[in-house]
Amino acid sequence: MLKKFTSVRFILSVFLFVSVIFAAYSVYYKIEYWGFSFMPKTNTNVWTIEAHISFEPTGDPIKVSLTTPRSNDAFKILEENVIAPGYRVNKNQSASRLILSAPAQEKPQDIYYKIMLFDNVSTKGKIWAPQPEAPQPPLFDEQKMAAARQILELSKKKYDGDRVVQIIKLLNESPLEPAVQAYLPIKNTPQMMVEIISELLALEKIPARPARGFKLEESKKALTPDLMLEAYINNSWRVYDLKTAKKGVPDNFILFQRGGKSLIDVEGGENSVIKFSVLKSVTSSFNLAEQRAKISDSKSWFDYSIYSLPLAQQNTLKWLSIFPLAILVIVLIRNIIGLQTMGTFTPMLLAMSLVKTGFWPGMFCFAIIMTLGLSIRFIMSKLNLLLVPRISAVVIFVILIMQVLTITGYRLNFNIAQSAVFFPIIIMSWIIERASITWEEDGPLNAGREIIYSLIAAIATYFVISSEYIRHIMFAFNELNLVILFVVMLLGTYTGYRLVELKRFRPLVKG
Amino acid sequence: MFEWLKKWTTPEKLRDAGVMGMNARNFHVISKYNDRRLYPLVDDKVQTKTLANKIGISTPKLIGKIEFQHEVKNILDIIGSEREFVIKPAQGSGGKGVLVIKDYRDGMFTTASGRQISYNEVYQHISNILSGLYSLGGKYDAAIIEELVHFSDIFKEYSYQGVPDVRLIIYKGFPILAMTRLPTKASGGRANLHQGAVGVGLDIQSGRALHGVCRDKPISIQPDTGADLMQIKVPFWKEHLLIGALAYDMTGLGYLGADIVLDAQKGPMMLELNARPGLAIQIANGIGLKSRIKEVDKYYPSGLNAEERVEFVLNYKRAK
Repeated sequence: MLKKFTSVRFILSVFLFVSVIFAAYSVYYKIEYWGFSFMPKTNTNVWTIEAHISFEPTGDPIKVSLTTPRSNDAFKILEENVIAPGYRVNKNQSASRLILSAPAQEKPQDIYYKIMLFDNVSTKGKIWAPQPEAPQPPLFDEQKMAAARQILELSKKKYDGDRVVQIIKLLNESPLEPAVQAYLPIKNTPQMMVEIISELLALEKIPARPARGFKLEESKKALTPDLMLEAYINNSWRVYDLKTAKKGVPDNFILFQRGGKSLIDVEGGENSVIKFSVLKSVTSSFNLAEQRAKISDSKSWFDYSIYSLPLAQQNTLKWLSIFPLAILVIVLIRNIIGLQTMGTFTPMLLAMSLVKTGFWPGMFCFAIIMTLGLSIRFIMSKLNLLLVPRISAVVIFVILIMQVLTITGYRLNFNIAQSAVFFPIIIMSWIIERASITWEEDGPLNAGREIIYSLIAAIATYFVISSEYIRHIMFAFNELNLVILFVVMLLGTYTGYRLVELKRFRPLVKG
Repeated sequence: MFEWLKKWTTPEKLRDAGVMGMNARNFHVISKYNDRRLYPLVDDKVQTKTLANKIGISTPKLIGKIEFQHEVKNILDIIGSEREFVIKPAQGSGGKGVLVIKDYRDGMFTTASGRQISYNEVYQHISNILSGLYSLGGKYDAAIIEELVHFSDIFKEYSYQGVPDVRLIIYKGFPILAMTRLPTKASGGRANLHQGAVGVGLDIQSGRALHGVCRDKPISIQPDTGADLMQIKVPFWKEHLLIGALAYDMTGLGYLGADIVLDAQKGPMMLELNARPGLAIQIANGIGLKSRIKEVDKYYPSGLNAEERVEFVLNYKRAK
């Protein structure tokens, strides 16, 4: 007896263990790669960056080359599109440039490039990349070379941090060292600053390049991209602020252009202007899960998950995936606590309706339907009808009660009465029938107890499944249902006392 | 403040007392010793009766059986000249749907409680039985009409109307626990503990009262008649036990409840068998079922016939 028992329990425990491991991995995977979260209603910001390029054609064939961002550790691209009628669009993936070409034009040209980004996370400015080639040392005359060397020496002496930080800090001093002042041009632009720093770094064989990006802030004004410096240090590209020498990509900053010389090149056009605008929109995380799956190469997994289904089916399945938890509650109530309820799953179905109606409106309607239904049933029992017609009559009465409740509720602007329609008609009828039979057979005490116990079970189940939080978790991480399955099966081997038995069998314990 | 806690006990204490819980009963005993295929033998009272008569257990005589709705109108022909009888569902449980007719004359039926009911109500009752109102799981059922047992005077002062009976728990063919169930006013004359009948545990070797219990609480006098329950000593005790032991032989169910009623003339008769007998008998006896089951598993011999098993139980020396 004991041997068989332990082995069943052992096997189930192994299954439970495996399912827990599987669920844990799956939960991790969904959070990590699909961006799921334990919190319900998590929204993801989607940033739309629009570049408006305008220029006047010179009469030659036009070729516009625009640097475009690529998905990387720092953000993911949801959508990318170009509005350029009459242009042939070519995408150069490796150089991440968009090349638009068109025959000669006469009118001023407008080209729009739109990109939607999400999941912009802070990568702390480190973007891993293979070692680029060492930069060519700049060709300086002797005097300039000497000045440059002096600046490099000075920066090393004066500041801590890596070489880039040291140099940037030195060049941004106020007031500047005389040597630095002499070295820098009088009218300094960020563009020139990047060039100067890159040259200085090249002397130390540190690759550096300009980077352009945006602070992700909604603004109505046209934006000009901020220029930053990227330098290759310790096997990854690091981004530096040109003024403060602060390392890393600032929060909510999107690097639009990395590497490459220019943001935009226009051949066959002049007076080219590029204006950027940034727009924020909010999308539910679920909607972006597919995109994330695509990017993380788990698309095929995703295609066979619930979340790839149309929304209507998803909602149905969302409703279904809470059932196992409700079932677990019922198992606990019946086998561990030991409350005897009407029908095994009747309380669960009641709880489901309570979720739809809301707690108090649901209880109100339940009370009314039960009271009216039971009274009618008592009158009917005098008629001595046969079972099937009798229960059918009860069903019809229940429907009528629901109709009356809903209509009067509507007329009197009494909203809660309208939730009556959510109660399962057949279940309600059987509760009425069972209660009235128990009443006649075992007295009102037993009937009342049965109803109360069923209601307690229903309310307990309700509080578990009505939580938006729990519902979200059970749907987003539906592999937990597998865990519940084995927990329920393991409970099937629980042979200890039920809670109510601790009271019931109290007289058997001496003293 | 913690007064209510005294009404509760701990699992350890229950385990020490050898009490069997519902989960343990279902898992360790019923699912192990009661083959589901054998259930129809006890769930269907007609089958039980036929088998019992074959093996030599006396049961109340079957007057008739109604299986289909169109047969219900034949009820008066089936009853014939019988004046007292019982109508019950063939697959009912827990005394549900049992209609006791004490007197039938001039087209009027008098029930056990003295209420007069008409032919229509009897007709209705049988229809309800057929439609499965009282059967397990609401399956279509048959109604059986059997003779009314004239229970022995010995129980008269202990019960309020109804039919008192003796419930035996038989484990592997050995009667291990016994109690008598006495109908009360509260139970509506029915011998069901959950309806408020009194249960009195009986010593398995002598048939003497041990403890009384009503609604899971100790009791020592019959609430309606005031009779001292502790004076009960069931006569023909060995015959009672023999019925239980034979019930095992006839069904093969390792864990079995047998309901036996003592007829004034015909002696103990088996009313029905139950493959899932309840656990209240433990309270009535003040004895845990598990301790008795362990005893059987450990010390009782196997391969005995019914008489030998009864002898063994009667003579078993239990350390006090």
